Order: sequence, then C-alpha cells, then structure tokens
Amino acid sequence: MTTYELEQLLLQQPVSLLHRLARGRISRHFRSGKRKLIDLLLHASEQNRPGLESDLIALIEEPTRRQPAAPAEKLPQAQAHPRTVGSPAAHRPHRIEDHGHHEPPVSLHDWLSGIGVPPPQPFVPDAWQVDALAQLAETDVVVSVPTGSGKTYVAIEATARAMRENRTVIYTSPLKALSNTKFTEFSRLFGPDQVGILTGDRRENAQAALLIMTTEILRNLLYDAAGGEIDVRLDTLGLVIMDESQYLADPERGVVWEETLIFCPSQARLLLLSASIGNPQDIADWLTAIRPTPCSLIRHTKRSVPLRAGYLHPNEKLTPLFRTAGIPYGQPHLLHPEAKRLFAEYEEETGPSRSR
Amino acid sequence: MPPSIHPVDLVATLRQKNLTPAIIFLTSRRACDEAMQAFERSQVVLPKSRQEQIAGVLTQVTTQFPSIAEHPLIGTVQRIGVAAHHAGHLPSWKIAVEELMRTGSLDAVFATTTLAAGVDFPARTVVVTQSSIRKARDFTDLTASEIQQLAGRAGRRGKDLVGFAVITPSPYIDLTVLTKGLTGQPEAIHSQFVISYPMVLNLLKAHPREQIQPILAKSFAQFQLNQRTAVLETKLDGLRAEMEPFGPRVCSDWITQWNIFDHARKRKKPRGPAARQESPDVTARLNFLTPGRVVGLTRGRGIILRQYRSKGQHAPMVTLLRDGGALNECPASIVTQVFDRTFECDETSTYPWTTPQTLDQLTHHLADLPPRLPILPILLHPDEDMPLDSSIIHTLGDFPCPSCPSRQACHRDFPRASRVRQEIHRHTKSIQALQTSLWHRFQERIDVLERFGYLNPRAQLTADGEWARLIRIDHSLLITELIRAEAFGAIDPPLLAAIMASIAHDDDRPGSFPRGSAGLVTLLFQVRKLAESLMPHEEPPMLRADVAALTERWVADQTLTWIGLARLTTMAEGDMFRLFARTIEFLSQLKTLKSTHPSLAESADRAIAAMRRGVLEELP
Repeated sequence: MTTYELEQLLLQQPVSLLHRLARGRISRHFRSGKRKLIDLLLHASEQNRPGLESDLIALIEEPTRRQPAAPAEKLPQAQAHPRTVGSPAAHRPHRIEDHGHHEPPVSLHDWLSGIGVPPPQPFVPDAWQVDALAQLAETDVVVSVPTGSGKTYVAIEATARAMRENRTVIYTSPLKALSNTKFTEFSRLFGPDQVGILTGDRRENAQAALLIMTTEILRNLLYDAAGGEIDVRLDTLGLVIMDESQYLADPERGVVWEETLIFCPSQARLLLLSASIGNPQDIADWLTAIRPTPCSLIRHTKRSVPLRAGYLHPNEKLTPLFRTAGIPYGQPHLLHPEAKRLFAEYEEETGPSRSR
Repeated sequence: MPPSIHPVDLVATLRQKNLTPAIIFLTSRRACDEAMQAFERSQVVLPKSRQEQIAGVLTQVTTQFPSIAEHPLIGTVQRIGVAAHHAGHLPSWKIAVEELMRTGSLDAVFATTTLAAGVDFPARTVVVTQSSIRKARDFTDLTASEIQQLAGRAGRRGKDLVGFAVITPSPYIDLTVLTKGLTGQPEAIHSQFVISYPMVLNLLKAHPREQIQPILAKSFAQFQLNQRTAVLETKLDGLRAEMEPFGPRVCSDWITQWNIFDHARKRKKPRGPAARQESPDVTARLNFLTPGRVVGLTRGRGIILRQYRSKGQHAPMVTLLRDGGALNECPASIVTQVFDRTFECDETSTYPWTTPQTLDQLTHHLADLPPRLPILPILLHPDEDMPLDSSIIHTLGDFPCPSCPSRQACHRDFPRASRVRQEIHRHTKSIQALQTSLWHRFQERIDVLERFGYLNPRAQLTADGEWARLIRIDHSLLITELIRAEAFGAIDPPLLAAIMASIAHDDDRPGSFPRGSAGLVTLLFQVRKLAESLMPHEEPPMLRADVAALTERWVADQTLTWIGLARLTTMAEGDMFRLFARTIEFLSQLKTLKSTHPSLAESADRAIAAMRRGVLEELP
C-alpha cells in the first residue's frame, strides 16, 4: 500500500475508527479532527507502516466479522441511521470488553429522572456539621467540604454560641461583594445592631459583637494591636471565622491569610471554611504546630445534593457525559459512548477549520 | 453546524428538559452581553405571572439600591427571565440578579468563569462551555479545583434532589480537561508567602530583629518548606547509608586525598594523544595516516587525504578517497591495515583537501592498485597503561597514595564515593537554603528599607518608618517615597485621588477616556520617574493617565452624575466602581497619617468625601 492509498483508505473510514486506531499511537488524539488525525497517524507510524495497515484492516473487518453473530447490530453501525439513545451499548461491544464494565451505560431517561424539589422537611444538620461544632468547642477547626454543602450553617451556629458567651466574633471573606452579602444575611439573622462591617473604604457599627470584614482589614487590626495601639475588640475576641480559606494559595493575596493566621490572638478559636482542596490536613497540621490549641480537620467529599454530568451537543442533543448517572470519581475515561461519539463528531467538523 | 450552541436554543433546551434555573459560564463579559442581545432579538417572552414575580423582587431590591431603578436591562430581564452577571456590572445590579436567582425567578444567568468564586448563588444546572481560562494574558487549563468550584454551584440544598453540570462544546474546548477535573481530586494548595515592605516595618515595630526568624518559621510557607526538607532528609539518610562502606581507610579523608592526587597526576602527565581514550593500535597508526597513504579498510581500500580531530570529542578522524572516487569522513579506527605505498598528494586547505588534478590521479591510482600490497608493520606500545612513571612519583612526593596499600581500593571506589559525597553536599546545602530562605528574603527587605532611611542600622524604625508602616497596600514603597519627596505638598483632592487611582489600578483592559488636566500630566510624569527609579526594589504600577483623568473628573466636578461619567469612557460600570472603591481604600490609608502629615490626611479625607456619592454611596 502506498502512502497515498493508505491516506485515501483512512479518509474513507469514520472518525471513530480513526480514534481507535490512534489509541496508543498518538497522545491526546481525542483533540484532533479527522484530517489532523490522519496526518498524525501517517506521521507517527512512518517507522511501522505495516503495523498500522494491519491494525486498520482488522478494524475495518471487525463489524463484518461480527455480523453473523449479531445481525441486530448492523443497523446502528451504519452512519446514516440515527442511533437510539436507549441502547448505545450495542454500538461498541468491544469497548465494554476493553474495560471490563458489563453494566450498560446509563440512558438519558434514567439520567434525567429524579429532578424535583425535595419535600419540605425539618432542617436536620449533617453529621459533619454537628461534628464540626462539637470539635470547635475544644479545638480550632478546618472545614474542607464541597461547594454548597452548608458551611454557612456551621458559621452561624458557631457565631451564635460565641455571642451567647459575650464574645466578639470576626468573620472574614476574601471579596467585598461576599462581605456585603454576609452582612445582609447576618443582619437579618442576628439583628442589625449586632452586626458591623469593616471594609477598606468604610466602617459601620464597628463596635458590634459580630464584625464582618475583609481579611486585609483583620490583618491590619492585628498589626495595630502588635504595634501597641490596642484595639478593645481583640480582648474579647472569641472566634475568628475565615471563609474561602483556600485563598491562602492566592498568588497575590495569599500572604495576607498567612499573616492573619500567624498573628491571630491565641485565646480566639479559629474556624477555617474552605472549598475542597487537596491537602487540608497540611493546613490543620500547620495550625496545630503554631497555635497553643490543636486544630482538627473536618473533611468530606460527598455532596449533599448529588451531581450528574451531561453533554449538550450544538444541535441541541443532550446525553449523559459518563456511563454512570453520577460522576465516576477517579475514572475520567468512563465516558458515555454517545457523548464520546458526538464530541468526536464535533471535533471532526470544527477541527480542520480551526487549523486552516 | 455552528461552533457552539446558540444561547437562546441552549436555554430553550434546558427549559424543555426541566433543567432550569441554570448558571451558564461563558468565556468573556462580551459573550455574556452578546447572549443577552440574542435574547432581546428573539421572540421568547415569559408568561405574565413570571414577569410580575421578577418585577416584585426587583422593586424590593430597588428600595435598598435606588440606582437599579434606571438600569437599562431591567425591561429585558423582566420580559425574558434571563440575566447576565459579570464584573462589568455594578455591585448593586449583581446583588439584584443574585436575589432574583435566590428566589427562583430567573431561568438562566450568564456569568464569566473568572468570577466563579464571586458567584455566590446556586442553581439546578451549571453549564460549562470552556476548558481553559484567561490568566495574566495567557490561557491556562482550568484546574480540578476550579472545575469543581464551577460545578459545585449545581444543585440547591433543599430545593433540588439532583444537580446537573452540563458541558457544551465551543471551539478550543478540551473534553479531557473537564472530565478529569470533574472526576479528579482537587489540587493541593501551596503557600504564596511574599515578604512586603509594610510587613517588615510592622514586624520590626513590634519585635526586635532577633525575634523575627521564629515568627517567620510559623508561616505556612515554612511549614511546606519543612515538608520538602523532610523529603530531602530521608534521601540524605539513604545516601549516608550508601556512604558507609567508603568510611576512613589508611587516611581518614581518603576521597579528598585521592581527588587531589588524581588531579595532580593528571596535571603532571604529558598531554597528547596518549592521554586520550583511544585504543593503542589506533594511536600507533595515526602517525602513518598521512595524505597520499594507501590503507586497507574494513571493506575495500582507500587513500588518505587528510587527518584531523573531530571538533567535539577530539576523536581522530581521516578523510578518505575510496573506490569510485567517493570522499568519506571516517573515524581513524576504520583503518585496518596500513600499506607500504604512498602517492604524491598536493594538499589544499579546503575541501576536497587536494587539488582536482591530484584527486583525478589518485582515483586512477586507486583503481589500478594490485590486489596484494605489502603491509606496513606497526609497532605497538603495550606499556601505555603502565602505572606511574617513577619521575612523576618523585614529583608527587607529598602524596602517600602511590605507595599506599589501599591504593587499589581507592582507585576502584573513588568515582562512586565522590558522586555520593557530592549528592550529600548538594542535599545538605538545599536543606540549609530551605531553612533560611525566608529569613534571607526578610533581610534583603531590611537592607532596602535601611538604605531608604525607614530603618536605622540596628533595624529599628526611624521617624519615617513609624508612619510608613501604616501604609499597608501594594506599591507602598512608591507611595511613602512620594510622600517624603513632598510630591503631595499642598495637593488638591482631585489630583491626589487621580494619582492614587493610577497607582491602584492594575487592569490593562483598554478603553477610551477623558483627558487629564495639565497639572495632572506633569505630576504623573514625576510619579512615573520615581516609580522607575524604584524598579529594582518594587515592581512599578501601571500608572495609566486615562484612569487618573477619569478619577480627577469625578472628584473635581461635583455636578457630574454617574451616568454622565459613564458616558465619558468606554470603561464598564463595574470596573469604574472597583477602581473608585480601590482608590478610596488607598486614600483611607493616607488618612491614617493624620498626626504626621495633617495636610495630606486632610486632602485625602476631602477626596474620599467627594468621591463617595451616587452609586458609590449605596453599598456598605
């Protein structure tokens, strides 16, 4: 087979076959469109042309070989026929064998089922929320949980407890916008006279029992206290809540979080609320090392509302993104065959025009 | 097929599948605004009851933030039930949109990925259209944490049984980045500790220099450096174990001893071909490989045209004329036999190293050579690898090595032992560096501050340092130096606000702006000169004249309304708001200098009062 013949033969194949051919030959072949894929294939197997040819022929013959065994599969294999969403597993039996997953991929109907509003029920705090509050009575606490798990509940309960003990609470957030939202929310909860706000350009009700501020302001307060200008609020300070503490890793502002935590008065409890991060234990260990009270870590990765991932094609066709209804943690390759096919199609159609 | 789904179709699909309300993350503010325009053109209209619900929520928010009432998008949002939410909007408008989402009045919000952390409202569905994000003028792939932060907005607690993260492709999307991000572990975070001038001044105000190092040791930065140290320590232990068999021998530090001896021996040895790693027979033959010599090769015969050394390795090479007139550059080792026959050869200094006539003649000669030729016997020097010459041993008299009983062992072990020892040295040094790097950086800052006169030689605050430590913002050195240079002597509030704005503004988004006054232009020129002179010690700010002019106008002309100001520039309202808020923040730092610089503090106070009007008054 000459290069030209091979190229023509490759051009005649569906792009999905080319992707299968590219597996192991080209890294990240998933990104390329058909034309690019063929070029890459030809280039990558310059050394081993016969290997490529024999694999190609094996792949081309595969459906015809299977035909007598499972004639029903022939229809969905043909490109012209629309595929039924309900049985996408039938298109790629070999895929299932490849990975050893015998259950069929989830159907769109199943994936979409269960949408709805949960029946109203009395609020019951999650186990981790109870745990965090219990720990906070004894130690500093770092909370690392997924977005939307209810970190605010812990903050509110802890604040209420400290305020009952006549202690000042400082709540810091990285963004002024978030400070404002929390100010409104807490004013509603605890009464406007109990809540004050300090940002870079304005201070309101600065002697209140609960003070909301940006982390920079707290850092400045702590520096002033260290420099001798005693601020009365710090004497009765019982609890410091730092929201979005993953900002510790912010390239520009992260240092402010470190300064604040280093100089935070030792009599005050610390409650760090953070989105899921990779090494929350490090932060807890660090705080244990530098503060008189130990620091415990509350961490969980399970979302309170389950999450499903989907893929929406530009032609308005919606499919699940993964073979499972939920997200298969740790297994990014478990793509739904339909999503995979549609995305390959998308790449094929948009890819070449991009490179041109 | 279009490169990405049309926003109207996207929302229609989501509505049809009962996946609303949704947050749709788009690549840019512009994409969000264009999506809104697409909706305005479309004929989609909400039912009356929904429209009234939205109007109700908006009226409620308007009582708190009056500026919303005249927002141009109100009608559209009410009619179509979709809104945009990005940094170009005023905070009050964003609050209104968030409130609408919280009450479930909207079907979709178009937001930018850059503000994912600031988007503090959940929805049933989150739509992601990109896999990379613009960071500092460059596109980088979204990290797993960022993707999970985006997807985490899906599914409202108490309002949804499930949440959905939907990916819809747009050009340049990489599906693997997104699937890996959705299924993967969020990344570990790393300390970003930097030592700033205000930090140094404030720490030295409260603590003497001797106590600083323990304080720095309490940082997360040092904690993570210690973790790296621990890794190096275990490596070091492994290396030390490897070093065990190479303990003291006849002399206690035999590695150094052998190293010096080895060097000395190499220096004494006559330099020349013999010193190279060539086989002795090649070396012996080299003398005979002269131009014109007929030699036997591994295949066929040839005539030497030139002998030389290769450039990199200095390997002996020859240029050969072979059968058929071919010219080859080969290593000298290709020569297997040297024949007792030479031809006349006129050498030249360039390729083919001989005159064309000679080349012709030699080609003929080579073809005419008889099959058998007398071989030149070449004498080898088998004693090339002999131990040291007695004369050298004599000059190395100070070394015990040549006659030492453990010489053999030293010779054998030296390469490995010295490598291990070097590794140990390297690791020990890195550990030291990790332990002291923060302190070194701190000391560098001390030196600079001392040179500028904020600290005395004992690292105590001078009079200037006492007030300079109150300036705890970016570009603090530039600002304090400006104050000391009396650039702000008896400055007008508008001018002061303008300069602060140009120092505070760090966005390079282009735009058209009003012109500044002559006084501002001159002052800004001086500020820029000073900023450039401080370059080795502090990154200069952007100092945009246009931004300064805009601020000057706002402070100087008290009759100017917010809408009037927005007409003067192409800057987005949200950016203007942020610029002024940040400027007020900088000015309020100047206000704290009341006791040492009363006129400056007074001017800053007046500037703040003048700036805070219109929408800037609305938010706490």
